[in-house]
Amino acid sequence: MSEIATKIEARFIELGIKVQPDEIETRLDQLINKFKVPPEEARRNVINYFLKVHNIPRTEFFEKRETPQVKASEIKEDGKWVTLRARVVQLWETNHESVSQVGLLGDESGTIKFTKWTKAALPQVEEGKSYLFKNITTSEWQGQFSVKLNKTSEIVPIEDDINIETPRVATSDIKEEGKWITLRAKVVQLWETNHESMSQVGLLGDESGTIKFTKWVKSELPQVEEGKSYLFKNITTSEYQGQFSVKLNKTSEIVPINEDIEVGRSLVEYSGAIVDIQSGSGLIKRCPECNRALVKGACGEHGKVDGIYDLRVKAVMDDGEKVQDILLNREVTEALVGITLEQAKDMATEALDQAVVLDVIKSKLVGRYFIVSGAKLDRFILVDTIRQDTTPIEEGIMSLLATAAPVAQEA
Amino acid sequence: MAENGSGTGSGSGTGFAREVAHRIFAAEFKDSNLQAKEGQDQYSPSYLITPTGAKCNRVFIVGTLTEKDDVGTAAEFWRGRIVDPTGAFFVTAGQYQPEAAQVLAKTTPPEFIAVIGKPTTYTTKEGNVLTSIRAESMQIVDAATRDRWVVDCAKLTMARLEKLKGDNPDAVKAREHYSTDVESYRQMVQQALESVRAL
Repeated sequence: MSEIATKIEARFIELGIKVQPDEIETRLDQLINKFKVPPEEARRNVINYFLKVHNIPRTEFFEKRETPQVKASEIKEDGKWVTLRARVVQLWETNHESVSQVGLLGDESGTIKFTKWTKAALPQVEEGKSYLFKNITTSEWQGQFSVKLNKTSEIVPIEDDINIETPRVATSDIKEEGKWITLRAKVVQLWETNHESMSQVGLLGDESGTIKFTKWVKSELPQVEEGKSYLFKNITTSEYQGQFSVKLNKTSEIVPINEDIEVGRSLVEYSGAIVDIQSGSGLIKRCPECNRALVKGACGEHGKVDGIYDLRVKAVMDDGEKVQDILLNREVTEALVGITLEQAKDMATEALDQAVVLDVIKSKLVGRYFIVSGAKLDRFILVDTIRQDTTPIEEGIMSLLATAAPVAQEA
Repeated sequence: MAENGSGTGSGSGTGFAREVAHRIFAAEFKDSNLQAKEGQDQYSPSYLITPTGAKCNRVFIVGTLTEKDDVGTAAEFWRGRIVDPTGAFFVTAGQYQPEAAQVLAKTTPPEFIAVIGKPTTYTTKEGNVLTSIRAESMQIVDAATRDRWVVDCAKLTMARLEKLKGDNPDAVKAREHYSTDVESYRQMVQQALESVRAL
């Protein structure tokens, strides 16, 4: 009985009200011992009495103590009342006046979207700060969970910085859109960005494979370097036409790591004839700032710049049934065509025309059979190795003759 | 969300599938006269359906350039005769195919040559349909490439003959129009293969 009394006292203290313990005990004693009321009923009665005396709404007293504290990753049910100790990872633009703030909360276990209703009349939260979100509700839409802050909720700022660890995954495990993750990867390639909102775009790789990444200008993150390895914290996954990629946003973090990650590749092989060499192949110039190929000496982003020479081939292969775009970088092009970048520059200078290099490339590639292997990306194969197809044709001839001949004899 | 889909640059563009380059032997190409158009407007691609049911908007052939002539009056217009084990192709390259025309201009027959181009047809006053290839690109190649093409073309022709029995729409059209004599094309393939067999 005294245990019940202590609990009641403690709870009222939490609400800022000092209730005399002996007064609680007297009331409990009267109900339980004198009037044979079950203890639970007695507790309820006593609480109600004091709530009335001090003019506190019932809901505040009960619901507060009933919301269990959970981790973000544990939220897997709709319509639960919970308490979350979390950091505001990101605030998004609200798209409706009924929403006062919307964004992402995170704790050690993961992240979850939150919505704070205007009607809740709660204080504003700040990005990067940690809070105890008391008495909030969980909600689900299309399999994605979120939490809602309502007018009975409470936001208590907390001092300690919650360490948000988005789960670290391997590139080959990225199979879902809209996940927050951490990736330990090497920058395999940087490409030309094709939109001014992108600061860098390219390919990341780890032991399990490769994945495209996009770093937004708005993210204000440092530039990454080709061939260097980093820990990419708090990035999101995204999907387009069945291809996955990761996006770096302003809450992401790039930590250089002192280790050379060996990039495992899901290599594809393709054999067929090269039927076209596309424009933008051969000796090209790239923007020194963003690596984009220049068009008539100008970069789409930085205008007229003093470009850096590069050698590459964008070609189309065809096996008679389907077409395959391939990309050859400088090293592969040099080895295949037998012209180094320096030689290519000399050729162009001598002829006063960059196109001479392209002509040589075309004469060595178009109409011939090749076997390429490399990482498949969008519609391209980023070629690691390319060799002329010299597999003996005799075997093919014999097996084809075998299928062609028997019927011929029947006729 | 403005997604581009392609990691780099332009090329053939998204949402537009490049036409496959079909491998057709000269004998079959010569027999072709069924044209088809996909869609009604003037920009829809046109196709040449061959007797074995290849629906071509682009072809890839390799053979021996045996003759070439500049038949143009004002501007250069080159015509070449390219021979494979089954017969001859006519290939053209004019002012709108400057690169191919240049290659044809500077090449002295005989020479092994690879051509990627568009099939075109011309109907004579007598009502005969003549086929030719308007070259998109053309390059001198080696004998090994030419032999490899014969095997490649044989393999794909055999595959089409196999499909010709089925209800693939192109196969049905080819069958109805040509009443394709499967056996004679099988022999054509056999003859082509025999010709490249190690002597």
